[in-house]
Amino acid sequence: MRIGLLTEGGYPYLSGDAGLWCDRLVRGLGQHEFDVYALSRSEDQEDEGWVPLPPQVSRVRTAPLWTARDAGPAYGRRARRRFTEYYGELADVLCASGTGDLPGHPGETSASEADRFANALHGLAGLARDEGPLAGALRSETAVRALERACRAPGAQRPAREARVPDLLAVVAHLARALRPLSLDWYDDAGLGAVDLCHAASGGSAALPGLLARHFFGVPLLLTEYGVRLRTHYLTATEYSPSIRALVAAFHGRLTAEIYRRAAVITHGNAHARRWQERCGADRAKLRTVHPGMDAAPFTEAGEYPDRTAPDTLVWVGTVEPAKDLVSLLHALTEIRKEEPWTRLRIIGSPRDPEGAEYLAHCRALAAHLFPDDADGPYAPGRDPVSFEAIGDPGLPFARDAYTAGALVVLSSVVEGFPAGLVEAMLCARATVCTDVGAVVEAVGGTGLVVPPRNPRALAEACVALLRDPGRRARLGAAARARALELFTVEQNVTAFHGIYQEIHSRTPVRRVVPYDAGEPRPFAAPAETHVPDRWTAGARPRAARSRPGWATDAPPRPAAALSAVEGAR
Amino acid sequence: MSGLGELDRPGTPGHPGTPGGPETPGGLGTPGGSGAWDERSRRWPDRAPGPASDSVRAGSREGHPERRPGTTRRAGPDPVKALMQRHRALCERAVDPLEIAAGLEAHGVTDRTAAHFRHRDVFSLAEEMYARVPRDDEPPSPESDLLPGDASGHDTDRLTGAGDGSLPAAPTATPPARPGWIALTLLPGALCAATVAGLRLTHGQPRLITAAAGALAAALALRVVLRRWRPAGGPHPHTATWTSWLVGYALLGDGLLGVVLRGGPDALPTGGADGPWPVSATPALALALACAPALWCAHLFAVRARRTLATSRGLNDFTASVRTLLYGTFALFLCVTAALAALSGALLDQPVPAPQTLTLGALLFLARLTAGHGLTHTPALVLTGAATAEATALAGLFAGRLPGCGVLAVPVEALVTTWGPGSVPTAACGAGALTLLLHATRRLTRASAHADPEPHR
Repeated sequence: MRIGLLTEGGYPYLSGDAGLWCDRLVRGLGQHEFDVYALSRSEDQEDEGWVPLPPQVSRVRTAPLWTARDAGPAYGRRARRRFTEYYGELADVLCASGTGDLPGHPGETSASEADRFANALHGLAGLARDEGPLAGALRSETAVRALERACRAPGAQRPAREARVPDLLAVVAHLARALRPLSLDWYDDAGLGAVDLCHAASGGSAALPGLLARHFFGVPLLLTEYGVRLRTHYLTATEYSPSIRALVAAFHGRLTAEIYRRAAVITHGNAHARRWQERCGADRAKLRTVHPGMDAAPFTEAGEYPDRTAPDTLVWVGTVEPAKDLVSLLHALTEIRKEEPWTRLRIIGSPRDPEGAEYLAHCRALAAHLFPDDADGPYAPGRDPVSFEAIGDPGLPFARDAYTAGALVVLSSVVEGFPAGLVEAMLCARATVCTDVGAVVEAVGGTGLVVPPRNPRALAEACVALLRDPGRRARLGAAARARALELFTVEQNVTAFHGIYQEIHSRTPVRRVVPYDAGEPRPFAAPAETHVPDRWTAGARPRAARSRPGWATDAPPRPAAALSAVEGAR
Repeated sequence: MSGLGELDRPGTPGHPGTPGGPETPGGLGTPGGSGAWDERSRRWPDRAPGPASDSVRAGSREGHPERRPGTTRRAGPDPVKALMQRHRALCERAVDPLEIAAGLEAHGVTDRTAAHFRHRDVFSLAEEMYARVPRDDEPPSPESDLLPGDASGHDTDRLTGAGDGSLPAAPTATPPARPGWIALTLLPGALCAATVAGLRLTHGQPRLITAAAGALAAALALRVVLRRWRPAGGPHPHTATWTSWLVGYALLGDGLLGVVLRGGPDALPTGGADGPWPVSATPALALALACAPALWCAHLFAVRARRTLATSRGLNDFTASVRTLLYGTFALFLCVTAALAALSGALLDQPVPAPQTLTLGALLFLARLTAGHGLTHTPALVLTGAATAEATALAGLFAGRLPGCGVLAVPVEALVTTWGPGSVPTAACGAGALTLLLHATRRLTRASAHADPEPHR
């Protein structure tokens, strides 16, 4: 199959979000052909360059999201009228009283509004296709006037009614940026029209080309959201005036709902994202959970020969920052040491930003205050029961050494997304004690102890229970490794997407109509077999010939081979 | 790590966007004792035990009297109200329930926490909180949240914002006027005055060198000054060429016109006003001196327009106020230029060709003003037109000398004999200035002309 991978500020760029995931996906699915359509987020990102691409990436097209390449031609009278109509409709939908018909509460008004939004979007896209880029028009006075008219119309929501001129300008600028993918030159038969499936690596702007490809060519859209874009938007755009936030939030809400409505399948990484997707109007029948994949290879040895370590040591591994709540952990340690006086805690991790550095200093001071050095005997040198280390220190060259440095891995976060560190600990066959935040329960299942967040005493009790019971620790560790290997490996992730691709392709194939000269559609003109990737067809391409024999390429490549390649790329 | 775990990381509680100040966990207070924990625990009265997956119950609090929160554990009969008070800023700010839900999650509220408030999930809890926020239906008065004094700067900062990848960030179009910049704007005028003084004191070869060096220095200074105000997308090509032509014509053109009508030119200009090809240095000096007020006026216009933008309620209001502002600024500039022209006439002890100077000044000022707001196309066109008109007049006169082409020189001759040689540049520049004024009235009074420009590579 030919997959159009749509990313925003992501995959081929070095500093992209979710770059590693996309890279593993592309390398893991060598039997498919990938066209990467990437939107870049900043000039710096463009300057940094790309990651090395595997041969199955047949083409890469990029476009900047942060600037308009050209303002486009000045529109003629008819084009202007079309633009005013569609933009006005878009503005009307955004300003319409939003509280009555939230996404997730589908009612009749909501459905008709969603249709109007979709019509406006498609209309603008069609205009851009017929008349040239929209960039100039989207920032023109026409757009501002249309938005003002919609805001002052009866029935507009309250923050929209209060919008001032600067608010209108800011909203227009934001919409111009968000709608930039409409003006791209990707929507032709050689571009997105030629792919069998669009796979958007995130929601929002990245999925917009997929939406249009579906509209223009009927290409099915697969949406993968490891982080819900709408939610990110709510968290980041907080310093603007209520009018701006209301209108922009309405736009993103509508866009998200529209993408969910049109997508063939929507995947997410955990139940939290799933709840947001359901709430924003995603049909449950389309939702699939595809757990993020972790590379299990570095942890194999540690996982298979588990107990080599001090039985009275707790380990915390991660990035030091306030959300990790190390203070709670230190307080829990005081409780633990009342029961088990020789318990030590190794905090392994380094801060990522100044705030984290400050927090680390605070934690060090607190540890020094709470735990004076203790010594084994009256003449033995004292040692600190809490140590602060970092991966890469002598004795801890790799992450696996950090996890295996103690009998028990503890996680005390108050806020957490998908706990990658926890899964790594599970792969190392460690028993874990975690706080019940984010996707922790989902990840750990029954293979570790879970306590409420911000509760040092509960954390201490759980730790003491496991410290006193090595047998239980071993059983939990083995179960954890088995669970992680089953659910959270790269192979699992890649296979799941392979299955989803095939499911979509079988259920909603692209119907390409090739007409006779007379204009009637020609039956069987475009069967699935007509498209054969370049690299299959020829030993003429030395790269393909070198990697493996031509007859073997249609079999799925061995994941292990792909994995080692990924590690090289890392 | 995998790079994926961070994707769905809800914003940390101390996230700059969320009002996380008071609720930052471990709010780095006293680095000793349990101060941080106590402070935090007091703000978290509903720390009820969640379902532990492996028979671990949340511990009781005996033996930790100092950790018992100041408020009661169940905050009265209405726990949601307590929660709303804790997240007051979030609730007041929110424009829809999902925003509250996102904010609550960023503070660690989960569905299990929501269960203590008798809600199925965070979304329904957020909906209740959103519905219970008191909202007055009176729209806030514009003065209440906007100080007119610093509205411009403040609002500009807010609008341009930080580049969070979501809302557009752009450099402000109007750089603040700093003393250094103000001094810099005076530089072309000063250099031109120095050149004119040098011309008076020198003769012969040094005089030529002085003139060339002075013109070059003034042009360079002008370029440096104008660079600060590059229009978005860069200046239009050839604008500088046509501007130089126009200024050069003001310097030499009128004299040349007179000479050509008398059958010349027979010699190169000597730099004096009384030579065979008279040079009128007054307009050039006046225009160089007017550089500084022109830039100040343009700056004033931009700043005042932004301030108007921040305070106006609708687009029509804005257009009306900015139109007045535009005419006012333009009139101010004309007055200043007239005064400077009179001054330079007095300094040089020469007659002042006021119409030419004023129209050319107006043309250049308006071109600068419109180009400064990103409308580079029309000013370039108008400058080209004016320069072409002047060139055509001269070329017509010369062409009239060819046999059989005498008719080409007739209109210019008629014009010059009726109105004097100054009528050609006055007509050309005046028409151009009028066109640009109409253009500016249409385009610069739009709000979109004062929006922040897009970033360009």
